[in-house]
Formats: sequence, structure tokens, C-alpha cells
Amino acid sequence: MDPNDTGLAVDARGVTKTFGSLRAVDDISVQVAAGEVYGVLGPNGAGKTTFLRMLFGLIRPDSGTISVFGRTWERDGIATLDGVAGFIESPKFYPYLTGRQNLEGLSLLDAADRPGRLAEVVELVDLTDRADHKVGGYSYGMRQRLGVAASLLRDPRLLVLDEPANGLDPAGIRDMRALVKRLADSGLTVLLSSHHMDEVEEICDNVTIMRRGTVAFHGTIQELRSMAPDPGYALATTADDRALELAEGDHRVTVTRDPDDRSSGLVVTGTQDAVSAYVAAIVRHGIQLLAFTPTRTPLEALFFMLTDTGGARGAAAADDAGNDTDDEGEAA
Amino acid sequence: MSATDATDATATPAVHAAPVATTHRPPRAGLGSCLRWEVRKLRAQLRTRAVLAAAVILPIPVVVVIHGQARPPKDTLFGRFATENGFALALLVLGFAAQWALPLLTAVVAGDIFASEDQHGTWKTVLTRSADRGRLFWAKTIAACGFTTLVLVLLAASTIIAGVLVVGHQPLTGLTGQTIPPRTALELVCASWASMLPPMLAFTCLALLLSVWSRNSAVGIAAPVVIGMVMQLVGALGGVEAIRPFLLSTPSEAWHGLLTSPRFTGPLVEGSLACAAWAVVCLVTAFLILRRRDITGG
Repeated sequence: MDPNDTGLAVDARGVTKTFGSLRAVDDISVQVAAGEVYGVLGPNGAGKTTFLRMLFGLIRPDSGTISVFGRTWERDGIATLDGVAGFIESPKFYPYLTGRQNLEGLSLLDAADRPGRLAEVVELVDLTDRADHKVGGYSYGMRQRLGVAASLLRDPRLLVLDEPANGLDPAGIRDMRALVKRLADSGLTVLLSSHHMDEVEEICDNVTIMRRGTVAFHGTIQELRSMAPDPGYALATTADDRALELAEGDHRVTVTRDPDDRSSGLVVTGTQDAVSAYVAAIVRHGIQLLAFTPTRTPLEALFFMLTDTGGARGAAAADDAGNDTDDEGEAA
Repeated sequence: MSATDATDATATPAVHAAPVATTHRPPRAGLGSCLRWEVRKLRAQLRTRAVLAAAVILPIPVVVVIHGQARPPKDTLFGRFATENGFALALLVLGFAAQWALPLLTAVVAGDIFASEDQHGTWKTVLTRSADRGRLFWAKTIAACGFTTLVLVLLAASTIIAGVLVVGHQPLTGLTGQTIPPRTALELVCASWASMLPPMLAFTCLALLLSVWSRNSAVGIAAPVVIGMVMQLVGALGGVEAIRPFLLSTPSEAWHGLLTSPRFTGPLVEGSLACAAWAVVCLVTAFLILRRRDITGG
């Protein structure tokens, strides 16, 4: 065994990074055990990408230490990336080269000489037919898949994926998630960054939720679920006032008017059983249902609470903040 | 991936997870591997091939046109004999090319080789492999200097061959009026062109620095040419004797001493030292900028 290997794939302690007046990452600590699938969640601008760039040595932290399989950039230099692969944000390649030429070049930089491996990873991400086309003509999804192929070329023990489904169409998202799940099932340590709760919930064992450069939550998915509020549903009926009156006698559910729609519409919160009983009662009283849909999953609601982004409108605001963060970083 | 492929793991090759940590460490990419990668990229770029082709082809019509002139360009160095002597014509072209063409041809690659990584957002792609910044820096530097040397060799060879074939290889009249026999003239013309290598390499290093610093290909390519012209202008002014030896335009004229009788090589040596100083300062500065830089783009 490597004498420096602590059993942790990633051990980041007290990491801080400031760009000018912006504190992009503020004293965060993250430990990822070897073999686990770890999620880093947060809205855009939360500091996820800055943290991952520091892990890859692209950005130097102002303070704190990051070790990868027991190695640190200060002590081991480029050897820190032994067994590590992945991509930050959207993977980028040379547009005037074909996909295969890009991968061959990256193999040179890995000093890897394994005939057949390149064709293997190209087939794995289903790019065999387009491998000899110039990357400049690739779609966004194809570049994402080429990024995964480039990562797998290194035969990593730790695969770092920064929002791998970002920018993909629904079919692309489904396929990318299936691929990541399959890679995780193969025994790789996976560090997955995302701002989609369902993506992380589906495949991750542990999760860190970041908010404005700090850790808002750290724990297992089960612990996160236990903190989640009751699910909420949007309800529209032919008689909302009567439906509200019916709820007054049922302390198991909370029914309020939808704050986004003052003229009609209700929001029902409670356990699934209680909500079902309430809806059955409405129907028994002759009130017709016009719509009954979940507003957000409990984990989504918790995510918005923890990151203080307040749902869709808040997330959009956070996107703007994230763009500002990126700009600050680039300027720096 | 297709939906079928994505959901049917048996339809695709198994994912190879590397074994757990052992004392065996993966190999590092050496300078040779990084250099091969840079050369492959350069060979794939249309711009690189166009510059090399231009270095071979362009001197031919230039030689033909000058040779066809009824009145030779008497007010330029060796212009008086350019229409009747192939060696004089090759030296006339050298004097013209040294002013701005050589810095431009050099900067086309050197000014872009670092900035293009920013343009394509590929720093993060190459720096997350097994090659550190130092090796990538030197690989790019060697590739750019190699390209510069190749451009100079092709341009010189094409010009000299075209001059000799189109105009002829008569004895050359030197700068002090001496007659130089054809064989010696050929050697001196080749040496004169070769003397451009130090300033061209210095311009290459300047372009590399501008490419790293500006992260902008346009600045990296155009700025060395502009700086070269400004240096020529400053060198032509009076009262600048103290700084003239340190200008990159001065070594570009050092070959004049080879074509006098007696020959003097002092300016060649001094010019080479000045070029070496420029190269070291530019490369050290560029290296430090790249090494300390946070890669936040891409």
C-alpha cells in the first residue's frame, strides 16, 4: 500500500479560496472514502467548481489542505492526480482534431500505452461512429461523452464529474445518469457535483451541500431524507373555499392558498397518508378535483431550505450569482 | 450513448476500475511525450501548414518580380545588384524580411501556442492528466522554437535557390566593394540568413511571453511585430547608442559585417548575447506567470 494512503480518496480540510473580495470557498472540509459515491450539491455559485478545481490543482487554495489518496499538491505535485480523472464543468477539446486524435493526445500526456483501451472507452460512451470526426462538429452531449471517455482512459480510482448532465436534453440526461450509475457500480470512487437533487439522490451514498462557499449540510442521503419536510402538493378544485374549510377540521394536513396564484389554487402539506385521506374527503363532499400535483420532492424542498434559494425563483437568482462568481474567478 | 447501450450494461465493455493503491506509480508524461503532442497539434492546424507553405512558395514570385524590374532598387542594401546577381537578391530579401516578415512568421505559432489553450478552454483538459505545467511549458516552447527554425530554414533555402536559379550565381560585390567568388558568396549568404536565428528565437520567446500573459492569440501574434517595428524606429533615432545594443532589431543587421573586407563579427556575438538575455527574461517571466496562474476558465 502507498504509505501516504489514508483510505480516504479525498481529504480536504479547512480549504479557503478568495478571488479579490469574493470568498468563493470558505473553510470547507470534505472527506470522501475510497469506493463511495459522493455528491457535492449546491446552486450555481456555491463554490462546487472552485473546490473541484482546487482538487485538480488548477487553482491553489489560500489556506487549508487537500489530499487525494494521501497525496498533496505541495508535496507530490502532479503525482497527486495518480488514479484521478474527470472533468470540470463542460469538458473541452481541440476542435480541429477528431475525437480519436484528442484521446490519443491525452494518452500521450498520461504516458499510457495500452493498445485497445482507447477503442474500448470510445465504444463505452457510444462514440465509435463519430470518433474520426472533428470535435468542432460534435454536439454538446457528444462532448460530454467524449469527456467521460477521456476520463476513463486514465483507468481512474477516483472519477470526478462536475455536473455531467448539465446542458443535455432529457434523453442525454437519462443516458448520462445511467452511465455514471454503471461506473459507480463498477467500484470506482465517484465525486459528483450537481445542482440537481434527484441526480445525487439516485446514486450517491454521502452528500455535502454547499451554500455560498460554505458547507450547509454534510451526511448520508438517509440523514438528509430524515430532515426533509413533508411533501407538498398543488391542489385546484371547483370550490377551493370549501376545500379550505374541510382542512380546518383535519390537523394532520396544512392547507394554504397558493401564494403564487391568489385567485385560485391551494398548497397541501402533510404525510402521504394524511394528504390521501384529505383528498378523499374532498371528493366525498362533492368537490371536484381540477389538478393535484406534487410541487417539489421533500429533498428538493430541503435543498432549497439549506441553500436558501427559495425554489425556482431563488435558483434563478443563484444562477446569476454563480455567473458573477465565475467572472470574478476569471478576472482573478 | 444510446438508450439501449446506456441501460444494457452487457452490451458494452466492462468498466475497468483501477486497483487500489499500491507502491507502483503510473508513469509520468515525459518532455518527449508532451512535445509529440504539441507537434501533432501544430501539424493539424491549417495556419501552421499555411505559414510553412508560404515560406517555401512566396520567395519564388518575389525573386521573379524583382529580377524582372527594369530599374533595380538602388536605395536598398544590395538592391543595386539584385537584378543581376542571385546572391545579392537573396540578401535584399533578407534585409526586407528581417524588418517585419520574420517576426510575423515566428509569432504565428509562438504567439498562439499558449493563448489557444485559453481560447479553446483546454488548459483544464491537459493539466488534469499526468503532465505538469513545467513539462507542458517547455514542450510548447521547444515546439515554437523548432517551428521558428524550420520557417527560417525553408525561407532561406527557397530564397537562395530561387535567386541562384532565376538570376544566377555571378561573383558578389561586397559592402566594401570587394568581389566575392560565387562559392564564398553562397557560404556568406547562408551564414547571413543563419545569423537571423538568434533574433528570431528571441522574438519567439517574446511572443511566447505575450501569449502566456495576454491569453489572447491576436495580442501574441501582432504585438511582437509591432514591438519589432518600434525597436527599428528607436534604433534609427540619434542619441540612443546606449540602448541600441539591447534592441532586437540590432542583431537583425549584424550580418552586414560578414560582407565587408575585412569581416567583423563583433555585432554578431553581441547581438547573440542580447538575444539570449531577451530569451531568458521572457521565458522565465512566462514560466512564472503560467506556474502561478489559477486556471479558472474553460
